[in-house]
Amino acid sequence: MGLALGIATDALAYGMVLYIISIGLSVTMGLMRVINLAHGAFAMIGGYLASWGLQSLGLGYGTAILFAVAGAVLIALPLERFLYRRVYGTHDPLPQVLLTIGITFAIIGIANSLFGPTLKPIPLPEIFRGPVDLGFRTVPAHRLVVIAAGAAVALGLWLLVERTDFGIRLRAAVDDARMASALGIRTDVIYAAAFALSVALGALGGVLGAEILPIEPYYALRYMVTFLVVVSVGGAGSIGGALGAALLLGLVDVTAKYLAPEYGEFFFYLAVIAVVAAFPRGLLGRA
Amino acid sequence: MELLRVEALTLAFGGLRVAREISLALASGDRLALIGPNGAGKTTFVNLVTGQLAPDAGRIVLAGEDVTRMAVAARVRRGLVRTFQISRLFRDMSVRDNVLLAILQREGRTARAIRHAATDRTLVAEADAHLERLGLGEVAGDRVGAIAYGQQRLVEIAIAVALRPKVLLLDEPAAGVSRAEQPRIVAALAALPPDIAVLMIEHDMDLVLRLARRVVVLAAGALVFDGSPEAVVSDPGVRAAYLGSYGT
Ligand SMILES: Nc1ncnc2c1ncn2[C@@H]1O[C@H](COP(=O)(O)OP(=O)(O)OP(=O)(O)O)[C@@H](O)[C@H]1O
Ligand SMILES: [Mg+2]
Repeated sequence: MGLALGIATDALAYGMVLYIISIGLSVTMGLMRVINLAHGAFAMIGGYLASWGLQSLGLGYGTAILFAVAGAVLIALPLERFLYRRVYGTHDPLPQVLLTIGITFAIIGIANSLFGPTLKPIPLPEIFRGPVDLGFRTVPAHRLVVIAAGAAVALGLWLLVERTDFGIRLRAAVDDARMASALGIRTDVIYAAAFALSVALGALGGVLGAEILPIEPYYALRYMVTFLVVVSVGGAGSIGGALGAALLLGLVDVTAKYLAPEYGEFFFYLAVIAVVAAFPRGLLGRA
Repeated sequence: MELLRVEALTLAFGGLRVAREISLALASGDRLALIGPNGAGKTTFVNLVTGQLAPDAGRIVLAGEDVTRMAVAARVRRGLVRTFQISRLFRDMSVRDNVLLAILQREGRTARAIRHAATDRTLVAEADAHLERLGLGEVAGDRVGAIAYGQQRLVEIAIAVALRPKVLLLDEPAAGVSRAEQPRIVAALAALPPDIAVLMIEHDMDLVLRLARRVVVLAAGALVFDGSPEAVVSDPGVRAAYLGSYGT
């Protein structure tokens, strides 16, 4: 019982970290139809900036998160304007893959030369460090924060897309960009905003998830496939699908690592293969 | 009052000259039919005027303002609206939301992005009024992808009207519609606001004679006729253009 609950909290926390980071990627892949292999690199930029802010600039945890998210967005926006925009929706995905893998290695190189090739700690504030007593057992406070943040991101995104004027424009631009511009919608502005949102979520997830996915020089490469997998299992562009995929894969991965650690990632990818075989468009993918 | 003036608009796709110095003016209240054989460059002309394509040469003046280099969306906001030859709508949204979106755009409410159009009674009432007028009240809540094609074409007209255009370019608004559904489209087009300038691409001479007061003929990218609907039928140059088009 205790083990099951322990696995459940860890799985939920891990799933939510995967969700916060991957939902940003799902937005760009589903909406702008670009395979953004550099998404993990933006999460990594968030982690590096937060670590720098906390360790060297003396920022508080909350301020460091804001600093990391804003910094990652500021770095990403010129890339969107001058690089990504050229490959949105290209028929051949190869230029997207080459461009974004190039950006990934460039970011890794720059991060290494500026901050050195070491692990970047993101110390938690005192209140997130201790255990919290849930009555039936105690769990680390940080896990609860991550779970709450994931739920808040899911709810916030749903409200944004389904319940705001920005959301209706965004859905229109996704559905048919030409028709959207025929209505006077500035699709370039919508795309830039969605891209910024995507990077912001990636950076947020990178910082919040650093306890689980530590920030280090090859972060952007190490988790590239993991984030892509969550998006394809969920169905690109689907907020609910990504949530379901992240939680499912988080559960499989954590359970397997508790019970059969010697298998490594085997069960994670087995689940991926099973879902993709059964639902080629992902759990909630668009037809 | 002149609303649209096109001067010597020219475009070539590689060696194919699809627009050859096309000049044309439209005034408030005009009802102009643009006809011509398949591949004459009619849709291309609309794409040039609206900004989907950039011309090699020429000028487009909308209500006195040169819009030749302006982005598509900026022209729409200035009152230059088009519909597409093959129906384009947001298929996963409801009929009402499609029209709401047009109203939202017209009102330019980007600053209040956090408000939600579907909860704004005045906007919803206006959208429903547009739909009622075209006999679409019944399907307002349905998903666009689920209604009949003839009804989808009417929704496109409702959207165009909701944008309150000065100049409206309709690319074969009745294409793909069954004979039985056609009268509703014709009625909708006849009931367009009288003061706007309308250019309509149409193959069906029956419709042209009913809706247009002036006809221009495009053949191989060049304007070969500009006159009354009655005169176009007997014009030898037009006949040659249509016949000639089969030879090339
Ligand atoms: N993007 C493009 N690139 C190259 N050629 C094009 C392009 N778009 C259209 N064309 C060609 O330009 C010519 C004019 O096409 P357009 O669609 O304007 O004709 P149209 O008069 O609208 O014909 P229809 O009556 O069939 O709709 C055709 O020969 C077409 O194949
Ligand atoms: Mg055409």
